[in-house]
Amino acid sequence: MLKKITLIAVVSVLVYAFWVSADFTEIAAGVALFMFGMLCLEDGFKAFTGGTLETILRKSTDSLWKSLLFGISSTTLMQSSSLVSLITVSFVSSEMITLAAGIGIIMGANIGTTTGAWLIAGLGLKVDIAAYAMPVLVFGMVFVMQKGKTLRGLGYLMLGFAFLFLGIHYMKEGFESFQQSFDLSAYGMTGLTGLLVFTLMGMLVTVVMQSSHATLLIIITALSAGQVSYENALALAIGANLGSTVTIVLGSIAANLGGKRLAASHVLFNVITAGVAIVFISQLAWLVDHLAALLGIRADDYLLKLALFHTLFNVLGVVLLTPWVSRLEGLLIRHIQFKPKGIEQPLYLMPEALETPLTAVNAVRKEVRHLFDNAYGLLAHGLSLKRNTIDSQESLSEAVKYTRRIFPIDVEDAYEEKIKSLHNEIVAFIADAQLRESTRLATEELYVLRQASRDIVEAVKGMKHLHTNLSQYGLSSNLAVRERYDQIRLHLAKLLRELRQLLRDEPDEVSNLSLDALRLSSQKASRKLMDELDEMIRHRRIATSIATSIMNDEAYVTDIGNNLLDAAATLIGRPVAGAAEQQLVLNDEEIAQLVDKESVADETSRP
Amino acid sequence: MNVKKLLERVRLFLDADTQTQLHEIRSIRKVLKALKEKERELQASLEHEKDDEAREALQLHLEVIYAQRKKGVDRVLQLKEALKPEEDILQRPLD
Repeated sequence: MLKKITLIAVVSVLVYAFWVSADFTEIAAGVALFMFGMLCLEDGFKAFTGGTLETILRKSTDSLWKSLLFGISSTTLMQSSSLVSLITVSFVSSEMITLAAGIGIIMGANIGTTTGAWLIAGLGLKVDIAAYAMPVLVFGMVFVMQKGKTLRGLGYLMLGFAFLFLGIHYMKEGFESFQQSFDLSAYGMTGLTGLLVFTLMGMLVTVVMQSSHATLLIIITALSAGQVSYENALALAIGANLGSTVTIVLGSIAANLGGKRLAASHVLFNVITAGVAIVFISQLAWLVDHLAALLGIRADDYLLKLALFHTLFNVLGVVLLTPWVSRLEGLLIRHIQFKPKGIEQPLYLMPEALETPLTAVNAVRKEVRHLFDNAYGLLAHGLSLKRNTIDSQESLSEAVKYTRRIFPIDVEDAYEEKIKSLHNEIVAFIADAQLRESTRLATEELYVLRQASRDIVEAVKGMKHLHTNLSQYGLSSNLAVRERYDQIRLHLAKLLRELRQLLRDEPDEVSNLSLDALRLSSQKASRKLMDELDEMIRHRRIATSIATSIMNDEAYVTDIGNNLLDAAATLIGRPVAGAAEQQLVLNDEEIAQLVDKESVADETSRP
Repeated sequence: MNVKKLLERVRLFLDADTQTQLHEIRSIRKVLKALKEKERELQASLEHEKDDEAREALQLHLEVIYAQRKKGVDRVLQLKEALKPEEDILQRPLD
């Protein structure tokens, strides 16, 4: 509910802002393009995971020095520390490199970015990345339309770069009028106040411009025009460094936990570096003067001296923080834990339950049951039926027949939040339990329960595919198609109801044997649907393409059913399952024979 | 302990397989009995059920129980066959 209200509020504010300000529209479009670019980059890098790029990356970042060099060289080549930082967030997010390697690259990027100041100050050159956006976008789209995984991945990477460039471009355009209002000469200050105020100003300008290069360009231009003093220019350069962290923070919004940790490390690194630079500004200025003299830079060439200062204080930051990288990594992993509100937490997997094998098995059994309940709710909604409908004695045929809308649930999201997270916890808990002293029986039971947990996960995965087609054809205006999908939904809904009932009842000698009736019923429903489809194809009452889609969906339902039945067999089975009961369970061949027998009986009973 | 009892104990010790099989027969018979009970319940439900779909489901369940019971009876017969020389033991009530 709160999510919906927030969304409505954000959309309303945006609509109003778009209405009153054209500049804002441009800026917002820039941010949107920028973030979309991030998502494309992540998709692109994922396509290369496990491949050559990963090997190259791993080899170039397997030690801190290599990561630093990688960061320095890539930023020097790309002339944008923001871009390198954002790409690094993507690398870390897709787990292609470790967090420590990412921190190394970010530190290197901070040094690499200072080459820009030398270029601007020394050569007056600047690589305009936005100019490359259009052709990169076109080439990216051409590659995305290809079938090969590598080419598509490359296409997504190019699209990602193009959208990032475009995003930065639109943001700059939008802020052009804002930039003009910054007349720095009017604010000349000296001493500590001047230092702090100009640092803040440099930061703000960079946040607004989304590029520390652009800020440096302004600083150097202002310095050469005498609008700002050398002292204030140094403070502005420190601020520019701080401001560039906002770009990476913005980029990490769309990133996962690894990306967020990396963004935090970048903020920490830049804040500490800026803090040290502010405290030791006089010493740094003195060092710059002496080094400038050694390098043959004229005493009044403030542009090159500013570039030298920029390099010096970034190198100082790297030198100061390099010995702490592994500690910083540990700190970030410990303190930045990402547990979104919707993520399901285990109810029974408490550390105390690991004390004895029996308590561990009981806890896992209850948790797998909890997982089953979650899957039950998700599958019911996936079929566009309420849990209450399945739990009640209401006619399922009618509930299915009179369905007016397919529930617009995001199965992928629900799977991550309610199923995958819980399954992860179960697997981890079982691994912990296996590390301790256990009995043979407990070990076997834990193995079976882990398999049951996996079966449930597989069942929900099946629903991910099924729901896509249900959304498309489930309420088709073609009656023949609608009826077939109704059959599919009814088949699974009935199975869910029966399983729910079986799990609710106290298990007895024949509980497990009751599952055979469900297996038979499931196979019979499947056979019936396939026979009907065959006949419809023969009489051309349905397009073959739709018929095959239904067949695929029927296969998903059969798989979902089988997985649920296997999981239920484990959950229903009493802790010490009777060998006799197991011997009477019908095997696949015996069930198939019964299906055949039933089919023949149906044929003969038809008028 | 008289000699007869002692001999019986030695025989049981040396013939653990027979004991396992006897135990299996007893267990299967217990499940068969529970299945028979379930079959009766389902038959009773079937007689009162008017809805065709529900009747079909009950009928199906009965078919399965029949197949399971047949499987169980076959297994008991098989085990009995293997225990033929121990006929005297099998004469004892099992439940």
